[in-house]
Amino acid sequence: MNPIVTLTLQADLRYLRIASVMACNIAEIFADASCTAGNVAEFCHACELSVSEAFTNSVRYAEPSQPEKQVTIRFFSDNGTLTVNIIDNNPQFNPVTQAPDINSYPEGGYGLFLIHRLMDTVSYTRMDETNMLTMTKHATMTHAE
Amino acid sequence: MNINEKTINNYKILSLQGILNASSAPQLKTFIAGLPDEQSIVVDLENVEFLDSSGLGALVGIARKKRTSNAVVKLARMNERVKKVFEITQAYTLFDIYDDVSAAAEA
Repeated sequence: MNPIVTLTLQADLRYLRIASVMACNIAEIFADASCTAGNVAEFCHACELSVSEAFTNSVRYAEPSQPEKQVTIRFFSDNGTLTVNIIDNNPQFNPVTQAPDINSYPEGGYGLFLIHRLMDTVSYTRMDETNMLTMTKHATMTHAE
Repeated sequence: MNINEKTINNYKILSLQGILNASSAPQLKTFIAGLPDEQSIVVDLENVEFLDSSGLGALVGIARKKRTSNAVVKLARMNERVKKVFEITQAYTLFDIYDDVSAAAEA
């Protein structure tokens, strides 16, 4: 399956908004016309927020010694499902996360937790020193009567 | 992100406008670091178009620091997108949240 969009950005927080706005715009176009306005907004927000979290992590955990730090984001659509890959060359990471202990007032550690809660599936692969985080979201359809 | 400030009843009201994410969160932290430690704050979130966990973490960190100075951080006028992030993470339990700024500054 070929991606509908591939976006490669320098791993720099200055470009964070490009990544998340792209995700929101693609999600909006992708969402079926029969989605209710509320469903489309929620779908777009989930995609925008998840990509924001994933891109931020890719930037934050990039090795300083890497000469060219880049993050590639690929968007696929298939049968009512939007799939997003976030690809980087950072060190391997553990994609499983527990909820942060909120009572300790944590400033971080929420990113992957949010992604798992917002997206329908989240998976991780590591190959040839490359990380790929894959997230999917099913568009909720309402059917015209 | 724009930060507009005013004072009501000894509370510094900070009205945020724009995006609160990993890129802009340092700006908020720096701004609040410039206030006295004991200054209580109401953060007006009505015009925050987007907030991610970095923005949330900045607010949580600010709240933690203020507690040590016996000051408070209150949140006001959360829109649905912001509310969603606070609900999923349960960070809403750390703050007093109000529907309007005046109520927050009077309580």
